[in-house]
Amino acid sequence: MELGLKGKIALVTGAGSQIGFGKAIALQLAKEGCDVIINDLDLEGAKQTAAEVEKLGRKSMAIKGDVTSVPEWEAMVKTILEKFGRIDILVNNAGGCTPPRPFLQMTDKDWDFDINVNLKSTRNGTKTVLPHMIKQKSGKIVNITSGAGIHGGMFTAGYAAAKAGIIAFSMGVAKEAAPEGINVNCVSPGVANTGFAKNAPPGLIENFPKTLPIKRLTTAQDIANGVTFLVSDAASDIVGQVLVISGGVTP
Amino acid sequence: MDLGLKGKVALVTGAGSQTGFGKGIALTLAKEGCDIIVIDKDGEGAKKTAAEIEALGRQSMALQADVTKSAEVNKAVKTALGKFGKIDILVNNAGASTPPKSFVEKTEEEWEPDINLNLKAVFICTKAVLPQMLERKSGKIINISSGVGTMGLANSSIYSAAKAGVMAFTKALAKEVIGKGVNVNSVSPGLGDTGFLRSSNVIKTVETPPEFTKHVNMDIPVGRMTTPQDIGSMTAFLASDVSGDIVGQVFDVDGGKIIKF
Repeated sequence: MELGLKGKIALVTGAGSQIGFGKAIALQLAKEGCDVIINDLDLEGAKQTAAEVEKLGRKSMAIKGDVTSVPEWEAMVKTILEKFGRIDILVNNAGGCTPPRPFLQMTDKDWDFDINVNLKSTRNGTKTVLPHMIKQKSGKIVNITSGAGIHGGMFTAGYAAAKAGIIAFSMGVAKEAAPEGINVNCVSPGVANTGFAKNAPPGLIENFPKTLPIKRLTTAQDIANGVTFLVSDAASDIVGQVLVISGGVTP
Repeated sequence: MDLGLKGKVALVTGAGSQTGFGKGIALTLAKEGCDIIVIDKDGEGAKKTAAEIEALGRQSMALQADVTKSAEVNKAVKTALGKFGKIDILVNNAGASTPPKSFVEKTEEEWEPDINLNLKAVFICTKAVLPQMLERKSGKIINISSGVGTMGLANSSIYSAAKAGVMAFTKALAKEVIGKGVNVNSVSPGLGDTGFLRSSNVIKTVETPPEFTKHVNMDIPVGRMTTPQDIGSMTAFLASDVSGDIVGQVFDVDGGKIIKF
């Protein structure tokens, strides 16, 4: 399918991990012809991903930035616009979760971490990039949420609240931005063996596939395929939706 | 993106209308390299769509059948399998609504047409096509539901119920068959300028089609109605190799119409 992605400029946050969704998204977009900017707190990781994007024959740039910080977002976007001139696609992929624990044992600090890394980061990125998309009268934003945000997460109440917040935030902004030619949607991944899973209870990742009708975990490539479709010309009528890619685990 | 659809055989029901979603789905799949079986109650319409598929260089077969009648569907599927040997993709697209009418005025006799055409037909066609998918441990089923099934539409209570039924049927069947290599999902279109809309009484609420279009578009965040191509693209994505981890989902392709409320 011709996705019309050739020559588009994409920014993917949290794409420094070498086993994460972000990297797979970045590489798939590059394969479709996008130049891809790689953000991460881990600059070395971002550089590795950027090098792989360049190997695919596309331009790339690794950029360090804390997505929870508005000044850092402003600095990042300024740098990107100076080099690439525009941002067509923003994938708010960066996220994280405090170690699972019962709600009553969660500290205020845990709460702030979960909300800031997942929800405020998405808000910050959208706030900083959207004005440029509105000027262009075109753009695609995909926010990575989670099944936890749809059916709740046991022992991850803060994370679940943040991910549900991303969905509601995306739906709201989607309605505002659609008349400007900008599509905002979410992708909700299932359980995957990414860096994120290092906090999972022992045995969960090994045993989880047995509980799934599909008998396998979600892969980074599954998520990359969904994101790529959503940011394409083929999905221009999709507004404020959550594309659940989870092997059937999420309602 | 290579969707891996080359050489697949797809069956699309209700693809005879020349302005409908079904034809958009059939042509999009054909462009991706599928051969297409077109089923419609309107045999002439089905032939027209099939001719366009052949013009794209793919094989096609037009079959006249009423999807609410299992004998007709079984016969059509048998004929299709006789020619193509397999059906990789089933798109249950056929559907229509009886004219809008308040619930209290609806008679028991009026229950069946909406339920049969929109919900029972999905059951009948799936029943006919699924076994050979399970045998081959591979297949994709996409059921076309409607935003009306999520939101409910006044004066179309039975149609609304039928479309909601399609969504729940999709989710249940998906869980049964994903372990056997078959993905079942649903696409829920928004308002399209199709025969469905043109034949409904809604369009008579304003004087001329251009006014009506303007009126409708104002209520859709993206500022336009859903096109057959929009539904075709989403269906092709769900029918492809790249969406294998998507199971029992319902996707609104509606320009933001549903979330507008």
